[in-house]
Amino acid sequence: MKTWEFIVRRLLLLIPVLIGVTIITFTVSHVIPSDPARAFAGGPKAQPDVIERITKELHLDEPIWMQYFYYLNDIIHFNLGKSYLESRPVSDSLSQYFPATFELTIFAMFFAIPLGIVGGIISAIRRNKLSDHITRIIAIAGYSLPIFWLALMLQYSFAYQIPILPLEGRLGIGMDAPSSITGLYVIDSILTGNLETLGSSLYHIILPAFTLGFATLALILRMTRSSMLEVMGMDYIRTGRAKGLSERSIIFKHALRNALIPTITVTGLAFGGLLGGAVLTETIFNWPGMGRFAAAAVLGFDFNAVMGFTILIAIIYVSANLIVDILYAVVDPRVKLGGG
Amino acid sequence: MDRILPHFKALDDFLKKHESKIKDLKFMGHLFRKSLLSMIGLLLILIMIFLALFAPLIASQHPSYVKVSTEQGTTVTEERWDIDFDQKLLPPSGEHLFGTDDYGRDIFSMVIYGSQTSFRISIIVVAVSTLIGIILGGIAGYFGGIIDEILMRITDIFLAIPYLILAMAVAAALGRSIDHIMEALIIVWWPTYARLMRGQVLAVREQQYVEAARSIGASNPRILIRHILPNAFSPLLVEITLDLGAVLLVAAGLSFIGLGASPGTAEWGLMISSGRIHMLHAWWYVTFPGLAILFVVLGFNLLGDGLRDITDPKLRR
Amino acid sequence: MRRDNNVKKKAGFIAIFLSAMFIVLCFSGCVEQEEKAEIKNPKTLVRYTIGDAKTLDPADCYDTASSEPIFQIYETLVTYRGDDTKTFYPLLATDWSVSNDSLTWTFNLRQNVKFSNGNDFTAEDVKYSFDRVLTMGAPESGVDWIFAQCMDTNSTTVINDYEIQIELTQPYGGFLALLPYTIGSIVDKDYVEANGGVVEGEENEYLKLHPMGTGPYVLDHWTRATEIVLNKNPNYWGGWEGNHVDKVVIKFADEPATRILALKNGDADFTYVPYSNLEDVIGEEGIVVNPFDSYDVVLCAINTKASNNEYLTDSQVRKALSYAFDYDSAIENAFNGYASRLPGAIPVGMPYYETQNNGQPVYDYDLTMAEQILDDAGYTKNYDLDGTLYRFNGRTIRLFYNAGNSEREKMAVMFRGALDEIGILSSVIAEGWPQLLHRMYTTDDWDLMFIGWGPDYNDPDDYIDPFVGATDTFNTGYTNDTVFEKILEGKYSADTNVREAAYETAYDIYIEEPPFLFICQRQYIRPWRDWVQNYSYNPVREWYFYDYYKAYE
Repeated sequence: MKTWEFIVRRLLLLIPVLIGVTIITFTVSHVIPSDPARAFAGGPKAQPDVIERITKELHLDEPIWMQYFYYLNDIIHFNLGKSYLESRPVSDSLSQYFPATFELTIFAMFFAIPLGIVGGIISAIRRNKLSDHITRIIAIAGYSLPIFWLALMLQYSFAYQIPILPLEGRLGIGMDAPSSITGLYVIDSILTGNLETLGSSLYHIILPAFTLGFATLALILRMTRSSMLEVMGMDYIRTGRAKGLSERSIIFKHALRNALIPTITVTGLAFGGLLGGAVLTETIFNWPGMGRFAAAAVLGFDFNAVMGFTILIAIIYVSANLIVDILYAVVDPRVKLGGG
Repeated sequence: MDRILPHFKALDDFLKKHESKIKDLKFMGHLFRKSLLSMIGLLLILIMIFLALFAPLIASQHPSYVKVSTEQGTTVTEERWDIDFDQKLLPPSGEHLFGTDDYGRDIFSMVIYGSQTSFRISIIVVAVSTLIGIILGGIAGYFGGIIDEILMRITDIFLAIPYLILAMAVAAALGRSIDHIMEALIIVWWPTYARLMRGQVLAVREQQYVEAARSIGASNPRILIRHILPNAFSPLLVEITLDLGAVLLVAAGLSFIGLGASPGTAEWGLMISSGRIHMLHAWWYVTFPGLAILFVVLGFNLLGDGLRDITDPKLRR
Repeated sequence: MRRDNNVKKKAGFIAIFLSAMFIVLCFSGCVEQEEKAEIKNPKTLVRYTIGDAKTLDPADCYDTASSEPIFQIYETLVTYRGDDTKTFYPLLATDWSVSNDSLTWTFNLRQNVKFSNGNDFTAEDVKYSFDRVLTMGAPESGVDWIFAQCMDTNSTTVINDYEIQIELTQPYGGFLALLPYTIGSIVDKDYVEANGGVVEGEENEYLKLHPMGTGPYVLDHWTRATEIVLNKNPNYWGGWEGNHVDKVVIKFADEPATRILALKNGDADFTYVPYSNLEDVIGEEGIVVNPFDSYDVVLCAINTKASNNEYLTDSQVRKALSYAFDYDSAIENAFNGYASRLPGAIPVGMPYYETQNNGQPVYDYDLTMAEQILDDAGYTKNYDLDGTLYRFNGRTIRLFYNAGNSEREKMAVMFRGALDEIGILSSVIAEGWPQLLHRMYTTDDWDLMFIGWGPDYNDPDDYIDPFVGATDTFNTGYTNDTVFEKILEGKYSADTNVREAAYETAYDIYIEEPPFLFICQRQYIRPWRDWVQNYSYNPVREWYFYDYYKAYE
């Protein structure tokens, strides 16, 4: 099956998946008996006319399957509805918060990928020595930690007890954000030549990115190590050794390239997982991103926000998987796309 | 003598028939013992299980369980702890190994009893997900065709949503209780097992001896049980072990946000959440439950890793 | 061997590093304090708080977070200053008078006032602002009821450029108290007309984000979930002589640790610190912790409707419950001592507080009394559940509160224990706010619910009517015609003697058959840096940044 055929097929399959996602999130949001209209109208102080207005707007007085179709119709027209927690369209909230989460995720990956790969290689080369064992335990501990606990511990140690890093936020107090081009403060600072915000935004992203990326680092490290080990024992490596090629050239030319393949897979999956992990990290570090918004929306019964957020995440996640699968096929010609 | 000999003979025959399998097992046991990390993992888990089982003897404070009725008709068991505000937020000491919380309760006791809750959640979620996954995945893999396609699409949908988000949404919808997060987690987790099982079934289906068995006339269920399940066993076991830890992490995360355990329960994630506001003047409240989670999950991960190393044929030397 | 040496080297480095960290940790607590900390950002006031604003349009604002910036940007006809809740200070109105029947109010307006865009402020703007509230109908928040209860679009008349007359649709004793609230803010008619105007039932998207007022500050930027920054309005009629700050920053940070650290660093001048964290700042260098009485009250609503729980319809049972609650322990442990007893519906500081048994609570924690009342009323402990005896045939009393509120959680858990001791089976249930509202208003499926209430304006009618009057805001189902009558008497009259007598009679009746557990009145604590001057707390009009400044005096 040719590559483009594969891509088209996968993209088409995206549609039923997304519909399924909407059904699930919709059902989930509307299952429990609650009164969001009254909550958004102000609770006990709510006025009946406001409650009625919001009820009509959310179609809460209509049968549930009708509500679903209103919802689907809105989605198709890119209308994600209104977030009552923030009193503005969900799409506005998401577009404001997305760059923040994206920046955090990118930095987490910047931190996790190189360190993970290097660590994995070293670990594989020094297999079963002390450094290997220690690295492996740290790596496994890395994704055995509850991320919110790690965040709290780091925050307490390095931002409060020994205040060398900021406690929260993306920028220092009173500092204006750099002019928004991409929404990523670091990039925008570089593009606008604003050294002050560049420094401050880098300073602020250290702890959250480290926390978020730690588990991924551990995963990549282990993945790289085991695939390196696997590859290093293979025939063509042994042949290379027999031929007299230096250890170094064997590792870098042959072992590494093949070992990276599963790493790419893991990275792609991790990207999606990071979006989920961001929820807890963002909450603790007060990072104004989608994760924090999602947590508030779920707890605040802001249905529209929850559904809008989930759809967006699903699209991103599935796209990331698709890209990973394509990369996988490109890097490893042995893999047949569309195989069972 | 005559009566004993036949038994020996039967044993002898049995051993001969399964000679290769026993050799495998012996080899695996040998490998296992050589892998220090998985032994450590096993040890951690055994310690925790011990604490969970003997909680009434080890802990200094104990909860009481009261059956209350909630909505018309249903009864729920509430976990209650004695409150003593005079003892609130005391640092670790001889009397309170892990200090006390803002209600004056002994954190050490709560951590110990929390292990019961944690194991309960992990085991039930993984067991039920595995069961559902095995059945659905097995059916899809064996019969193939449209059934397989449908299952693949359905699992695609579930796997498209990051597990924490989906679990959050479901748990929020069902209401705040431990039973509900278990249900939410089962919904999130079964696709993994379905996929795994399906993959196994597909792999074995290609095997020659299944064709051979069918040509002799063996019926379908027999083929499944006798050939597919034992081979699926190893990767399934690894996945289960690792997931026991992963489920615990997600469940703790849900409780931390406020979607899981009811207030006043001794659940590790909930304790970290309650302790968060007191971190500046009572660091022990957050630290020890977190260490407990780390302890258990690390144990499962080390063990699962070790099992994977052992059972993965590619890594055998 | 080389490898071993490497390992030893590494071990050595690690050891040194760890020791260094350890030493730094030890000393971080013992650094010598300097004389007095240098004032950071001397012309900027920074306040760290939680909860982002929702709108900057005063005609559709009903939450505290939004009202804070609005109060700095917009102005009302009259206001409160300092900690004075009794006197009305002239702001955009210079003086006023009221007719004998209390129905017609006349205001003389201040001259030479400009909006920050340079437009003149006249009586037209006042009429426009008030009519706008009523016509627009506050679609998001419903706050227009405050005016709608005694005004309509024919009420306000322009007499001349600087004189306005308001004719109420019905007498309302506390009318003047309505005006200082954000709903009474004056907007620029020309500005609004040019930007969307007034559409019945629809919000004005532009005004939500782009305020235009006569006040001392203007909006610089509002970054959602992060901060609101205000700059000084150079054309402010009050002038900038004397001590004022040029910039106000309201920052949102959910983590208490963040806010506390900011306060300690001097990066924040004010911050919100939860009761449990006050011990982290009390006694710290340069930080002032001073509690004030607020009008925020804490109650437990009781569902008296027979359709739900026949036991709670009995006022004797409710009296027993009132004796079973440990008020002092709740104040001490849920609010860390920063609350005071609430005798009835009216909080201390509000007029007519003394009509409630002179401020002395009728109920105190007395389990024996509670048991006796229940026994005398015939509710004996005759139900055996696993060895313990309970009343009410084992019926569970459900204690609800909204998830996340740790103070209410503590009270619920404590109360459950006390109820156990007097033989009442109870259960603590935390649910999301929309769920609780659904129970309270749609299904009536609740027994007891811990709730709170805050002031809209400084008049007891804002409390007593919603609680025990016909309005029955919390849907308790409590009915007593005499009480209802008395509350209406107090609402419509402007005569202090009439109101006093009415509220006293009402109290004496409803306290004997309470539909609430009147628990406590919270104190307001926002620790601040000692270089902040001229700050005072006003329970109905928090935050008047124009009056505060930073200096050591």
